[in-house]
Amino acid sequence: MIQDLLLNFKLAYKNIISAGLRTWLTITTLAFAFLLILFFNSLYTGWEYQGVKDQIDWEFADGQIIYKEFDKNDPFTIESGHHQMIKNENIAPVLIRQGNLYPQGRMLPIAIKGIPANQSIVKLPTHLFHESKEEFPVIIGEAMATNNHLKKGDKILLRWKDKNGTFDAKQITIVGIFHTNVPTIDMGQIWMDIDLLWKMTGLEKEASYHIVKGNYNHELKSQWRFESQQDLLKDFISMVEMKKGSSAFLYIILMFIALIAIFDSQVFSVFKRQKEIGTYIALGFTKKRVTLLLTIEGAMYAILATIIGSLISIPLISWLGVEGVTLSSKEQSQQMGITIGEKLYPMLTSKLLFSSIFWIILLSTIVSYLPVRKIAKMNTVDALKGKK
Amino acid sequence: MNQRAKMKNILYILSLLVCTIGYAQDPNALLKKIDQNMYTKTKVSTTKMIVYGKRKTKEIVSKGYTRGTKDSFSEYLSPAREKGTKMLKLDDKLWIYSPSSDRTIQISGHMLRQSVNGSDMSYEDMMQEKKLVDMYTPKITGQEEMNGEQCYILELNAKTENVTYQKIKMWVDINHTVPMRQDLFAKSGQLLKTINMSDIRKVGDRYYPFKMNYKDVLKDGKGTDFVVLEMENNVEIPDHIFNKSNLKK
Amino acid sequence: MLEFLFKGLIRDKSRSVLPVIVVALGVSLSVFFVGYMKGMIGDVVDQNARFNTGHVKVMSRAYVQNISQKPLDLSLLDAEVLIKDLKHQYPEMNWVKRINFGGILDVPDENGQTKTQGIAGGIALDLSENSIDKERMKLGNNLIRGTLPKGAYQIILGEGLAKRMNVNIGDKITFFGSTMDGAMSFQNFTLAGTVSFGTSVLDDRTFIIDINDAEQVLDMVDAAQEILGFLPNDVYDESKIETIKNDFNTKMSVETDEFTPEILALKDQAGLRYMLDIANISTSLFSTLFIIAMSIVLWNTGLLGGLRRYTEFGIRIAMGESKKAIYKSLILESIIIGLIGAVIGTLLGLGLTYYLQEVGIDISDMMSQNSMIISNVIRAKVVPQQLWIGFIPGVVATLLGALLSGRGIFKRQTSQLFNELGV
Repeated sequence: MIQDLLLNFKLAYKNIISAGLRTWLTITTLAFAFLLILFFNSLYTGWEYQGVKDQIDWEFADGQIIYKEFDKNDPFTIESGHHQMIKNENIAPVLIRQGNLYPQGRMLPIAIKGIPANQSIVKLPTHLFHESKEEFPVIIGEAMATNNHLKKGDKILLRWKDKNGTFDAKQITIVGIFHTNVPTIDMGQIWMDIDLLWKMTGLEKEASYHIVKGNYNHELKSQWRFESQQDLLKDFISMVEMKKGSSAFLYIILMFIALIAIFDSQVFSVFKRQKEIGTYIALGFTKKRVTLLLTIEGAMYAILATIIGSLISIPLISWLGVEGVTLSSKEQSQQMGITIGEKLYPMLTSKLLFSSIFWIILLSTIVSYLPVRKIAKMNTVDALKGKK
Repeated sequence: MNQRAKMKNILYILSLLVCTIGYAQDPNALLKKIDQNMYTKTKVSTTKMIVYGKRKTKEIVSKGYTRGTKDSFSEYLSPAREKGTKMLKLDDKLWIYSPSSDRTIQISGHMLRQSVNGSDMSYEDMMQEKKLVDMYTPKITGQEEMNGEQCYILELNAKTENVTYQKIKMWVDINHTVPMRQDLFAKSGQLLKTINMSDIRKVGDRYYPFKMNYKDVLKDGKGTDFVVLEMENNVEIPDHIFNKSNLKK
Repeated sequence: MLEFLFKGLIRDKSRSVLPVIVVALGVSLSVFFVGYMKGMIGDVVDQNARFNTGHVKVMSRAYVQNISQKPLDLSLLDAEVLIKDLKHQYPEMNWVKRINFGGILDVPDENGQTKTQGIAGGIALDLSENSIDKERMKLGNNLIRGTLPKGAYQIILGEGLAKRMNVNIGDKITFFGSTMDGAMSFQNFTLAGTVSFGTSVLDDRTFIIDINDAEQVLDMVDAAQEILGFLPNDVYDESKIETIKNDFNTKMSVETDEFTPEILALKDQAGLRYMLDIANISTSLFSTLFIIAMSIVLWNTGLLGGLRRYTEFGIRIAMGESKKAIYKSLILESIIIGLIGAVIGTLLGLGLTYYLQEVGIDISDMMSQNSMIISNVIRAKVVPQQLWIGFIPGVVATLLGALLSGRGIFKRQTSQLFNELGV
């Protein structure tokens, strides 16, 4: 039985290869559709992966421990939304305060965020705080810099209030402008050493939330709530999935074309190769087996196409995965508050690859079968003669 | 106390003496006198606030009632848009009532940082109404003419932690003990606001500047002018004025 | 000759119907694909235009400098005169005022005391009955609860914001903010409905009110923060826009005042220039690749069409027809089939594109997500390019297939062709 099947495959392969140019055209089309499907899906997967990675790297880490009274969507909660920090070497406290920047005589309300200079949980270049000789070193994101015409080395006056409500103001120095794809840690805020912010405000060892590295298994006091990485990423992932869904339409059209090509070839095969079919039957093949053989021939297009497609797309997408594809613009993503890099790095997962292969072969097989069903109805003698 | 320290102390006292002899003034007494002039038991006044916008100058007239240093109530008289808007401050709480929406909203936290009517003054600036003597340790550092009057230069340093401005430099009119100018500083020493006074007039037995310019030095612009149109001191103000229910009337 | 071929084609269904169907299908897909790709870009353009940039946007120069902060105090004054002037100069455009502003929303309890309070960002646009701008924002389609405002001082909240503030339809909400020149401003609104914008950033912070209400509340009567201009039917046309922008800005260049109006085109805002350029390049690339793929398929069809008739050619040669004549008839036939197929296909493709342009496919149901203003509907766009693009795979590829398969006639011996008769 297995041998029979193998023979069928061998035969099918020989048959379609001997058809030459025609076969290669069909295969090219199918391979092309396969390539595009892989490419688009990889692009979304890459975006999702990159976006998730960026947000983990820059903002969420392995989760956050947030003060109950603090809600990042509600600026009202900043003022009193802080509490004595949790001491643990695998978590970094972040304290948020409000202040005003005064670039060129304008007043710019901002959030001041303090984070330990020696933290390595998120990618913010906090080491710059220690490396700088400035008295009040801060770092800001690229979007904050562009929107407000700020640059590295700029000294601007910052005014804030300490815990007693006393005004304080100092020249801060922008010692670094970091480049991130995560707008929520960039727009309308400045970052400084939490030690400095504690000193500036008198809110010694207070934190609005903590960024957690690794598993945090300790019992939390009732003032704190833990939000896991997955909780924090939920919104983003559902949005990418949505976008992915909307591109499915494209694959349907592409597959449609490729399947037309197969269908076409199969119709032709049945028509053109009646004599051959008759011969097979005369040789003792059952009609069922001939049908199977021709169906396998059709499926063989898909098999060859996926092999060729994989040979091209795997290195191509891997290469693009390193080089990146430029498809969006930064300002756009900032405006929507969505994490997306200017460059997308497509990512080909084995799940995607194999599921695409599976679907293409399955659909091709079905499409190949449709025209060859006719064989079962054929009169053997007529078939041998090459008549309908 | 050793000899050296003693010597230092004596020198210090001497130097103080020189200063005080020069101005014949005790800074604390001076400050007390300023407080007396500025804060009366009750005060009823009509004030015009002039906000110099980038393109438009706006004038707002309001009538204010003050009791001691903690309680005040004011009602906007013009322009038509603001007419009937009332503000009540009791201790450290501030409410605003708007007749158009018939709502009273408490201004707190974040909102206190907002500017009042687009002026250089924020709500929290209005909240600071403790007596200067209670908050600051004064020191006389010199004498000079300021805004047309001969003045002492007074340096005030905060006694307690919960004051809005850590340091104030004040020019006080020698004749009337009225401040002619105040510079308000941040903890760091950064100048934040400048208030210039002029047009000193006598109200009852006190002197009071009838013109004031309030300027946020960090921002561009001319600042905000306050002109007192009418003022009465120590008149009887019924208690219900300072009641929250008065806002809705 | 042509008549004869036509007859042949019509009588022999395998020679006509199937190839025509395949060509038509292929062409319609190609035509549709072009429209679909254009629609994808159009979607990005549309969303931005509708929500934020307009096709062009008129602002004061000072405002343009600080555009990221959307400062109200740098708005244009004498807006009515300006709008009248714009309408006069560029009558084809639809000019609308929009205001973006911030403030505090305060929900009272039964005693009039604050129950909940939150900071929110408002968008003001014309919500009156026959407003084009209201249609443009498609608010009606994205209502979650309630209705659109029908009278003065009614408000729509983002669903997230409404939930956070714990308000229901009909509840009173007080807006507290500053007017254009910084004066305090209070206004009561009634919650008419809630909408979903599709991103939590917008849903949690945005409210929408009518422009007339906003002008009263913000003391901006006869002032305009942003005047958005749209081309007829909201169809984006880059070159027209650039012309209008340059024309207007040149006229204004003599003015030195920092509050002189200035036009920014859609592409000048929000980083769209770069993004659209990239999108245009990549869609033309994909369209080209698609056309090539389709051409391969149809070429294949043409090739097959020729191959399956070798027996017939054998007979015809036997009957004395010259190889050249047969080749010629084969090619002519393929052109006829290609043309018919291409015409039918183009019409089909255009029809499908048009359907998707006007109706669209709402994939939000499939995605089990709430409806959203942003990109929940797959849309295509009818473009002139679609009128001819289908003829490349349709006619040219079919012809090419026939040309190639016809070569066999010359390559093979007559006897061999005859042999394929199989008698």
